[in-house]
Parts: sequence; C-alpha cells; structure tokens
Amino acid sequence: MIKERSQAICRSRWFTPLICVAAGIVMFAVSWLGGQFAGGLISFAILAAFGLVILLLTGRSETVRGLTVGRDERFAQLDLRATAVSGMVVLLAALVAWLVATARGQSGSPYGWLLAVGGLAYLVAFAFFRWRG
Amino acid sequence: MKNLVRALRTQRNMAQGQLAEAMGVSRQTINSIETGRYTPSLPLALALARYFGVTVEEMFDDQGA
Repeated sequence: MIKERSQAICRSRWFTPLICVAAGIVMFAVSWLGGQFAGGLISFAILAAFGLVILLLTGRSETVRGLTVGRDERFAQLDLRATAVSGMVVLLAALVAWLVATARGQSGSPYGWLLAVGGLAYLVAFAFFRWRG
Repeated sequence: MKNLVRALRTQRNMAQGQLAEAMGVSRQTINSIETGRYTPSLPLALALARYFGVTVEEMFDDQGA
C-alpha cells in the first residue's frame, strides 16, 4: 500500500519539478544563512528553471518522460548505467584532486574522505546485492 | 539480438506506439528491441511472445546475435 502510493507519487509529472524547487529552496536557505543571499537566489532560480523545463518537456519528449514519470525497463537500465558512469567520474575526479593536493603538500582531506566513502559504499552495496541474490 | 518483433507487429498493422502501450513500455524501447540494440528482460520477452502467440525461441534468435 505504502509502496504503491510512493510509486504513484514518483510517477506524477509534478514530482521531479517539485524536487527541483525544494532543492532550490534548501540551497537558497543555506546560502542565505552563510551570508550569500545573491548566490542563493541564483541557485534557486537555476533549479526552478530546470524544474520548469522538465515539467514542460515531460508531455512532449519521450526521453524526458523516461527520465521522470514513464520509466520502463530500458530506461531503468540506462539510468543504472548512467549512475555507474557518473559515480566513476566523481570518484576519478576526487582521486585526481587528492593526488594533486597531496603532491602540493596539502592534506587532501575532503577528497580522501570522498574516496573512502565511495569505496566503502561500493563494497557494502556489492555485499548487500550478493546477499539479496 | 535478431528478432521477429517488427515482422509480427507489421503483420498485425500495429504501430510501435500501440505495441508499446500494450506491453507497458515506451515506443523507444520497442524500436530498440526491433533494431536489435536492446535485449528485453525475460518478463518482457515472454509478454511479447505471449502477445503474438509464438514461443520466445521463435521470436528471438540468439544464434545470430
């Protein structure tokens, strides 16, 4: 029941645009708290505009619909591959940044943490999915 | 993977969109299956075979893949 309701909410064409607006509000609030009112406003505007574009294209483009409300098995597979590639790119960027920071005599601390979290998340996920069969 | 999806669909004068709706997938997915760029999952392959009244082996040719 709860699963069906959450799936129905995710399938709504308003779901992704509203997530974009919510993320924009959070970024705006955090930036405002940090004393960067204008930067926060720009972040909110960018995310709200992105949400609006998604909302407008959902009814017209099958690709956008596949990315948002109408995800079938092929789009789910594409999503999985794209997620894996983007994860690899982020980890590779963090690795390069860590190497550069370390070579410059800096601590490389945030990048090292990111790499550790990424590696650990991979191992835990691998073990979990192996256990799940 | 080579398959008979396009042949069976056109035999019934169906558009890709109609078949997609019947299978609960997107038109792009049907197109990708027909052109051999996407190998469907077992449930979708079974649903397609059942829909056209053939066996999965008749519909999909893994030897020519």
